[in-house]
Amino acid sequence: MELAYYPGCSLEGTANDYGRSVVEAFGLLGIKLREIPDWTCCGSTAAHSLSEAMTILLPSKNISIAEEMGLDLLAPCPMCYNRLVYSLDRIKRGLEDSPWPLTGQVSIYDPTRFLSQQEFLRRIREGVKRPLKDLRVVCYYGCQMVRPPKLTGFKEFQNPTTMDKILEALGATVLDWSYKTICCGASIKMGRKEIGLSLSFKLLMKAVEFGADAIVVSCPLCQFNLDSAQFETGKNLLPVFYFTELMILALADSAVSINFKSHLVDPSPLLIEKRLYNL
Amino acid sequence: MEAGQLLEITEQGNRFLSQIEGETGINLGACYQCERCTNSCPVAEFMDIKPHQVIRFVQLGQRSRLLGSRTIWVCLSCEMCSAHCPNEVGVAEVIIHLRNLAARSPYPAHEKELEIFYRKFMGELTRFGRINEIWLMTSMNMSPGILIKKVKDGSFLPELKLGLELVKRGRLHFWPKKSKAAKELRRLQEKLKGR
Repeated sequence: MELAYYPGCSLEGTANDYGRSVVEAFGLLGIKLREIPDWTCCGSTAAHSLSEAMTILLPSKNISIAEEMGLDLLAPCPMCYNRLVYSLDRIKRGLEDSPWPLTGQVSIYDPTRFLSQQEFLRRIREGVKRPLKDLRVVCYYGCQMVRPPKLTGFKEFQNPTTMDKILEALGATVLDWSYKTICCGASIKMGRKEIGLSLSFKLLMKAVEFGADAIVVSCPLCQFNLDSAQFETGKNLLPVFYFTELMILALADSAVSINFKSHLVDPSPLLIEKRLYNL
Repeated sequence: MEAGQLLEITEQGNRFLSQIEGETGINLGACYQCERCTNSCPVAEFMDIKPHQVIRFVQLGQRSRLLGSRTIWVCLSCEMCSAHCPNEVGVAEVIIHLRNLAARSPYPAHEKELEIFYRKFMGELTRFGRINEIWLMTSMNMSPGILIKKVKDGSFLPELKLGLELVKRGRLHFWPKKSKAAKELRRLQEKLKGR
């Protein structure tokens, strides 16, 4: 099985570790990701803030190439995902005209909903070589993948469970908590650092309070905010994993293929203590 | 504005309400001020005009007050307000639309650094077709007044320290990755004329 893959800028920049782990984790389930040739930036919050036409038309370029490839589209970064579905929705409704050919026949997926389909959950359960038992995690979904539900199609937008199901299939102890979709601060640190830090720390403190060993995310900006807030304040509370990193840890023949050096809060002491990783 | 002071709804105010409703496709008359939006907003405490008040002020045609507000720049577009509205008023969509209007108006942005960040982001996007974080932050810091402000308030050294740590951990690269389609994006931007 093949999917068109839209990495987006973060996944070849600050979150290149996420990018690599997505490709490998999908590969472990027999899904080949084909990168969209010459893809361009989705516009993110900047286009959304300054140019309402660009924010619709920028993603349409990438959707158009995916259609040409004849494949459904995977966007692991929630911001990109949100911009892509927004763009497709507006163009389909005739509110803007794409300069690139677009039929609207393509499906756009976020990786958590794609992999939490019954078939893949079964494959994950059957493929586990190193069950993540004793690892107590909370899944954090953030905003852009989930809201607005009319656009994303997330039925359980108040209490999403797609990552919870994947982590459970990997054998982890998934804790319930009420902060799954409360914003981490996004890019507000660029102008108002104190607001960003206060939002990120609220989540970190709550995760600790709920008894988690780690936070699991599917968003490059959430990972960066939660990870770097701890580095910047010198308060190391919890490692923040991409869910795909934990998939590799549980599913791969050898856990060595995964490198946690990119994390600012080092997860290896925790993984060694849980006997999931040896250096 | 004094509490209890009456606002006069002018012709310009009426036109502003129709303009926002027309451009966003949102029925603002559906808002009955239940304040669920404000109660669900994670940054309401940092706003000068709370989300439910934004909707009320649009209804009352308070254009200059809204475009000059802090609120339209502080909003995270986290969409919590819109998701919680019982009447499907897209509060976040209205706020982001006001930000777009403000960026094209003579009103100075209340959160100047955020506005500069977005402008530099668009500059890098159309230059390479993709964003390289080092080039973006450099371009941001080279903007008039930014670096001096960061040095003065002590935020530059921590930023540099974090940046170096990210380089060490392989999360930042000096050489930008480019897309061959960057030229098409520049053409598109020119054609849209800031729309």
